[in-house]
Amino acid sequence: MIAAAVCLVLAIAAPQDSTRRIAIDERLATDAGLHVGDRVMLAAEPGAVGEPAVIGAVVRRSADPAEIARGEYKIRLHLTQLQQLLGYGDRVDRFAVATTSDRVIGEAADRINAEAFGFRAHRSQDIAVQTSATFAVVSRFHRAIGIITIVASAIFLLCIMLLKVDERRRDVAALRLMGISGGTIVRGIVLEAAGIAVFGSILGVGVGIVTSWVVNLHYQGVYRTPLRFSIVTPDIMLGAVALSLVLGLGAGWLAAQRLVRTPPLALFGR
Amino acid sequence: MLFALAWASLVRHRARTLLAVLGVAVSAAMLLDMVMLSSGMRVSFGALLLSQGFQLRLAPRGTLPFDTEATIRDGDSLVALLRARPEVVAVSPVFGGQLHLITPRGVVATSALGVIPAVEGDYEVSEGHQPAAPDEMVANDALLAATGLHLGDTVHAGAGYDSQLRAMTAERILRIVGRVRFVYMARGQRGAALPLATFRGMQGHDADGRISLAMVRLVPGSDVEAERVVIERLLPRVTVISIAEALRQVDERRSYFTQLAVILGAVSLVVGFLLVTTLVTVSVNERIGEIAVMRAIGVRRWRIVGQIVVEASAMMLVASPLGLALGLVTARYLNTILADFPGMPERIDFFLFQPGAAWSSLGMLAACGVLAGIYPSWRGASLPIAMTLRQEAVG
Amino acid sequence: MTALLEVRALVREYPMGEERVAALRGVTFDVEAGDYAAIVGPSGCGKSTLLNLLGVIDRPTSGTVAIGGERVDRLSDAAATDFRLRRIGFVFQRFYLLQALSARENVELPLAEAGMKGTARRERARALLDYVGLGARVSHRPSQLSGGEQQRVAIARALANTPRIVLADEPTGELDARTGAEMIALFERLNADGTTIVVVTHDEDLARAARRVIHMRDGAIIGDERAR
Repeated sequence: MIAAAVCLVLAIAAPQDSTRRIAIDERLATDAGLHVGDRVMLAAEPGAVGEPAVIGAVVRRSADPAEIARGEYKIRLHLTQLQQLLGYGDRVDRFAVATTSDRVIGEAADRINAEAFGFRAHRSQDIAVQTSATFAVVSRFHRAIGIITIVASAIFLLCIMLLKVDERRRDVAALRLMGISGGTIVRGIVLEAAGIAVFGSILGVGVGIVTSWVVNLHYQGVYRTPLRFSIVTPDIMLGAVALSLVLGLGAGWLAAQRLVRTPPLALFGR
Repeated sequence: MLFALAWASLVRHRARTLLAVLGVAVSAAMLLDMVMLSSGMRVSFGALLLSQGFQLRLAPRGTLPFDTEATIRDGDSLVALLRARPEVVAVSPVFGGQLHLITPRGVVATSALGVIPAVEGDYEVSEGHQPAAPDEMVANDALLAATGLHLGDTVHAGAGYDSQLRAMTAERILRIVGRVRFVYMARGQRGAALPLATFRGMQGHDADGRISLAMVRLVPGSDVEAERVVIERLLPRVTVISIAEALRQVDERRSYFTQLAVILGAVSLVVGFLLVTTLVTVSVNERIGEIAVMRAIGVRRWRIVGQIVVEASAMMLVASPLGLALGLVTARYLNTILADFPGMPERIDFFLFQPGAAWSSLGMLAACGVLAGIYPSWRGASLPIAMTLRQEAVG
Repeated sequence: MTALLEVRALVREYPMGEERVAALRGVTFDVEAGDYAAIVGPSGCGKSTLLNLLGVIDRPTSGTVAIGGERVDRLSDAAATDFRLRRIGFVFQRFYLLQALSARENVELPLAEAGMKGTARRERARALLDYVGLGARVSHRPSQLSGGEQQRVAIARALANTPRIVLADEPTGELDARTGAEMIALFERLNADGTTIVVVTHDEDLARAARRVIHMRDGAIIGDERAR
């Protein structure tokens, strides 16, 4: 298929059977108020006379990350129709080849490239990787932001645990004076920290799911795409809970260690 | 006296103070990054557009410059018409396309621009000179590196390469006379420029008179918007884009980053606020007896609030430069990630340090810190003195 | 002698669930300028509540308190704070010194609050510490001082702005017998130098040292005797 900029002009005449049919995307249909059956004029240049076409279908855009930031419209024509419109003869930009099975894709591409026919065959998967480069960059960016957020959360959690454990100085001092071992106290505090971390992360997962839903709703509207911008998978949920648990345990342990190493009377402030 | 008390309170719990400072510093860094992100690309792009002094850009109707393969027919007459206008100082027409070079390393394809060297605004010559003669071209570092060619070398170039025949179409020999840096090309993108007439000639008759874009420089002090409207009315087949309009388009496309920056910036502020509030609340609770004693001996309430606010401010003061440094480092790292965006001009910065924005963001965080200190300290200083002292004595 | 402190029909009730419990039930008495009164009675009889009302750190449910002819029972928070700063000296059972400050800085705190600057403030603090016998330990932190020394610092702090009256709540309560005796002597010296003192105590020795002993029970005065 060849891709090119084509001008589309609204016309008022009723469609005729001989007129060729085209498909337009939802965005164009909405913005131009077009419907299936409407007749339009297609031209390769602004102001050129062009040729008539009838809208045969309104298609939904694919969830292509490479296109989200692009505001242009898309129409689909029959190959010969576009070639004729642009004066391209029988030239094409590329064509797709279906193989009998996924296993032979590499072999087929190698054979085509070895034929010295002048074409270069690429695996669809490789092309997908190239065209989704925008999203790959955004993904990397998000990952970096995520790491910064985790560092900030870890510090925040450690600070809170430290404060929380500090609040219990007198209780801990009393326990120590009663003969409760430091190990038991540390285990108690760490267990409490783990509980807080798990409860907090479950709450966080809930907030994440709601936020993800809002993010998708918002950006799907902004960019007019069915693409899902945010996905909360079971792996992500488990990862978040596990990370919180590790951070919580670490923070609790550190805070508890500080406390049990202080002499009980000092904890009483004497 | 207040400072001594504030200082003593901060050093009394060193680990806690250190963690709070670190937490606030990370929040400050994140906030700074988000402020830089929210305006960086816009400012950077605006500066880029203005760097060559052209205030208006003409593209085929309904498109943005080089956003599609569409071109403007009768570009030469359009340029002549523009040059005749009294407000116009210079018009730089550009025709964009592909060029194929036969090199010892094989056939190398490159983006190429046909320009009028005397008025071009797409590149800066870093070595050599402009392609004045019809058989001269200039290339950027990426192209020179890919081809292994040097200044002074000649090369067989063609507008197309028929891979079946393994032959160039419209082949001619060009001499590389300059090393240039393209203003609007992406990092690593190969680029060449040659005289407009030469490049059009290589594209065949179909390219006669066509241009992809025209950049217009106006007389200093002219009303850019008024001139844009006049030109658009004169030339209904083109879209005339002013820098303001281009920035608006950029705003639309980068709305994701703006919103992300606003959300994460707000989250950073809230986290910083919460951290300081928590810390100050606990600190006040610990010192509630001390505060009651101070009140009992006649220390005014606002003075106690002042002392605690001084503590919060001191943490902010230490954390801010730390956050600034951390923010600049992370911004640089994040910028290198986003610089890989396909088609993004090399000179665009997503994270642009602007002192005003940086100070205002740190100021916001500092204000949050102070506010975070006010409520718990006011609450602490407002507790009934007698009851608090009795509870402290029992506790 | 004129009455420095005038207490009339003082009532202080506290809400306790649905009910109100009376800690003071209509207390009336005067303390003359230069007097030294000890308020004694069993725990929970309302001694400390009375002292808090005299010290303007609490408000009565009804009744009046006047110090130096000025009504202090209905002062605004700011006015009460200022009154405490300039007219009243407080000594607490547990000293309540600021741990972060040295002995001298603790004494300087009310002086600074009253607006006294730099050298004059330091000299005044040092002189007060000399007066209570701590001239050699001005730079020590409370944690480096004994209980008796801490209480001396607290007394010096109470005297900082030359108050009209010093109120002391169980000032010997945390001290051993020997240190307590030293403290009693210090209070006697203070009073001999013209300071009006009202002290709440369980300490019989301290009460015996006062010129006047007021006995309380169940929120009311049940006896008022001149010791000498």
